[in-house]
Amino acid sequence: MHPSIATLVAFCDGEAGTDRSRRIAKHLVKCEDCLEQVRRIRSEKSELSGAGSGMPAVDTRQGLAGLLSDIDRWQRDPASAGALQLRRSLRSQIETYFGSSALSLVELPSMPAEELLGRASEMLDVFLGQTAAEAVKDEVFAGLGHARSEEWR
Amino acid sequence: MTRETNLARLQETPRWIAWCVGVYLAVDLFVLHVCSANPQVFSIPGSSDSSSALSVTAMAAVNLYLSMLALRSFRAGEPLRLAWMMMTLAAAAQVVSGVLAEMLGPNWLLNALLPSGHPQSGLVGQLRFTAQIAGAEIRLGLLAAALIPVLRVLRRFGFWVRPSATDWAVFSIACIFALCRLAEGGGRIGAANLQSLAGLALLCILVLEAMLLRQSVVRMGSGPISRCWAAFMCGIFLTGLAELGIWVIPHYSNAFSPAVIGSLTQFPTAAVFSLAPAYQLIAQRRATKPANGPREDLVTGTPALAR
Repeated sequence: MHPSIATLVAFCDGEAGTDRSRRIAKHLVKCEDCLEQVRRIRSEKSELSGAGSGMPAVDTRQGLAGLLSDIDRWQRDPASAGALQLRRSLRSQIETYFGSSALSLVELPSMPAEELLGRASEMLDVFLGQTAAEAVKDEVFAGLGHARSEEWR
Repeated sequence: MTRETNLARLQETPRWIAWCVGVYLAVDLFVLHVCSANPQVFSIPGSSDSSSALSVTAMAAVNLYLSMLALRSFRAGEPLRLAWMMMTLAAAAQVVSGVLAEMLGPNWLLNALLPSGHPQSGLVGQLRFTAQIAGAEIRLGLLAAALIPVLRVLRRFGFWVRPSATDWAVFSIACIFALCRLAEGGGRIGAANLQSLAGLALLCILVLEAMLLRQSVVRMGSGPISRCWAAFMCGIFLTGLAELGIWVIPHYSNAFSPAVIGSLTQFPTAAVFSLAPAYQLIAQRRATKPANGPREDLVTGTPALAR
């Protein structure tokens, strides 16, 4: 049985534990697919660490500040373009995963966009699992021009 | 095969399951037709022992595999993890039951190599009885328990509604059916009767839960998550209908023996149950890989570093 990607990442980071590392190492000798995955993870890792030194660092605080200021703007002006776009994007996600009828139950009349975000986010976490829900939220924020960082999670 | 390829294939799973059911039913009906047209050449077994059917066990194994994948995407402490864990265990119970029933049954090929009388020995009989309980009562109990956190979550998000008159009517039919079955047993308290009582009680509870689930699913719409729970609900209804059919039809018609009804209903029921984790995985797949998005990694637990 092949180890999962998460296990291989842990292995590359030296966090897989002695026994498991030994088992994975044994498996890698026999399995070209997994060896290729390990090579890919290592190369991505080195690319990321290289990017950290060679390129300007991503300022997550600036990104977070941008999102917070957007939320503030949505609260002050619920009809702003950003709030409407967020609402549209969340509606689309709820319809995609649950169905159109679910939307009328989730989105109450005059519900602010940020509240809808909270409610949709909670539903996605519960029904899809956190990892998949994070990906959906990433998509919503990417549509708004925000790349979510680990700090916001 | 990489997990990425696996996930791409998972998207097609409901279609494959539907094809399997179609082919199975077509072949089964053809065989039944041939058997009933030539009763002197081919005979239809009179008793229902289709728990040993390989096809049902194979479909239960598919359900187990898909449920395990779905379970893995829920972290410890998440509200639906417990539900998926119990559904996985229910699928595992069905697989174990099917495998044991097959291996310990009189038709097992290796029986010829064993000492004579082996399939009928006491230990084997007990094992068969245990396998039967695992595939019926334990499985139904696990499914009933799995639905409790699901209904709780649905209630939390406003999908749950009070049972309607229809729900109570269907539940009453299930209860009357259970009472009739018990009355037919003659009221004797034996191991078999207790087992039957437990199974029927669990079936009644499951039917009530399925009715509540039906209301929630109707209020949701037709996304993959609602389809997942709709499949689960349909699986429970089919289980109930199959039980009802196996009991009622032979009372009125000699054309359909319990074995025939079992062979026609058990595989589709197992297939419908397999659709639930398949739709859950599709939802997760859609989340982690948008239709026009860039190539991404896995459905579960991909650290940010690997993205």
